[in-house]
Amino acid sequence: MSNHTKATSNNPFDIFVVGARKGFQIATNNLMPNVLMAYVIAEILNLVGAMQLIGQLFAPVMGVFGLPGEAVTVLLTAWLSSSAGTGIAVSLLAKGVLNGTHATILIPAIFLMGSQLQYMGRLLGVADVPKKHWPLLMLISILNSCIAMFVMRLFV
Amino acid sequence: MATEKNDPTKEWKVGIGAYIALIFAILFFSGLFMKVDGIKWLSALDFTTLGGTFGTMKEPAKNTFIGAGGVSAKAGFLFALSLVPTVMLALGVLEIFSHYGAIRAAHKLLTPFLKPLLGIPGLTGLAMITDLQSTDAGAALTKELYDEKQITQKDLIVMAAWQYSGAGMINNYFTIGSALFAVLTAPIIIPLILMFVLKFVGAMIVRFILNTVYKEEFADE
Repeated sequence: MSNHTKATSNNPFDIFVVGARKGFQIATNNLMPNVLMAYVIAEILNLVGAMQLIGQLFAPVMGVFGLPGEAVTVLLTAWLSSSAGTGIAVSLLAKGVLNGTHATILIPAIFLMGSQLQYMGRLLGVADVPKKHWPLLMLISILNSCIAMFVMRLFV
Repeated sequence: MATEKNDPTKEWKVGIGAYIALIFAILFFSGLFMKVDGIKWLSALDFTTLGGTFGTMKEPAKNTFIGAGGVSAKAGFLFALSLVPTVMLALGVLEIFSHYGAIRAAHKLLTPFLKPLLGIPGLTGLAMITDLQSTDAGAALTKELYDEKQITQKDLIVMAAWQYSGAGMINNYFTIGSALFAVLTAPIIIPLILMFVLKFVGAMIVRFILNTVYKEEFADE
């Protein structure tokens, strides 16, 4: 995402169009392929029966956060890509596995531990953070997500 | 297939893995797995099944163009398409706010908190605030500060901790997250504020760990 380029015009209408164009590029280049992948992954898990298994397996852990076991698939996928994680959440909402309350608990967690696989290269790698400390930063992000889910329970 | 080089002077090496891949490719597109009686899960390896279905107008007064009951790739595509207008609106508006200095004001407000909370100098504020909008730009600015020796390695790690959890927070939330806004049961600003606060909490924990467990490593800084 190159959202840092300055618009050349001072006309607010032109500036809006510059931003909207960036939005279109993100939506078509990033959002659509990732969401499509997430829907297919969710369907595969569903067809092979893994979704039900995951649901039962993780029910105790996710129950702590007021979520059904299947919600863990949202978080695991979000770690690879926030868009894909969100896509899984939406497809589970459509199936009735998750409801609005669950989505509200999950949404900050999706982004706090989101896309970490990609950002390893794009952030930690680019900024030259010593590799030795990468696992610590990842653990902290996951911890942040857990705290976020606890706190969100108070707001739903 | 990216590993195979198109060098005409050498014969292609075709390992066993390549044949397995070919067999899977043929089976995946063949349609043989679509309806195998008694083994329904095999359809998870079938192209047509994973292509899915578009939703239909079960309740035309209520359904949008996405319809209801769609699955897999086709449903995912239409759903993603339905997000495009709000993503364009969100980034268009954010662009205007940035143009009129919203980012500079945020930078000004954030700076006094950096030293007491995270122990990093105020000049890191721009890199941090940039990260809220764009992960890549924030990372580039952070590297620049470190290369110019304006921050120590410990500062760098604390900054990276703050940036890494919830990177590109504002843009990601209003583009990707907008998919869930319609069903949220709390005001959409609450998760955003919570994420911002937790960025500090996470980075403060990292600062504490670096100051205790890894004390020797940073003794000369």
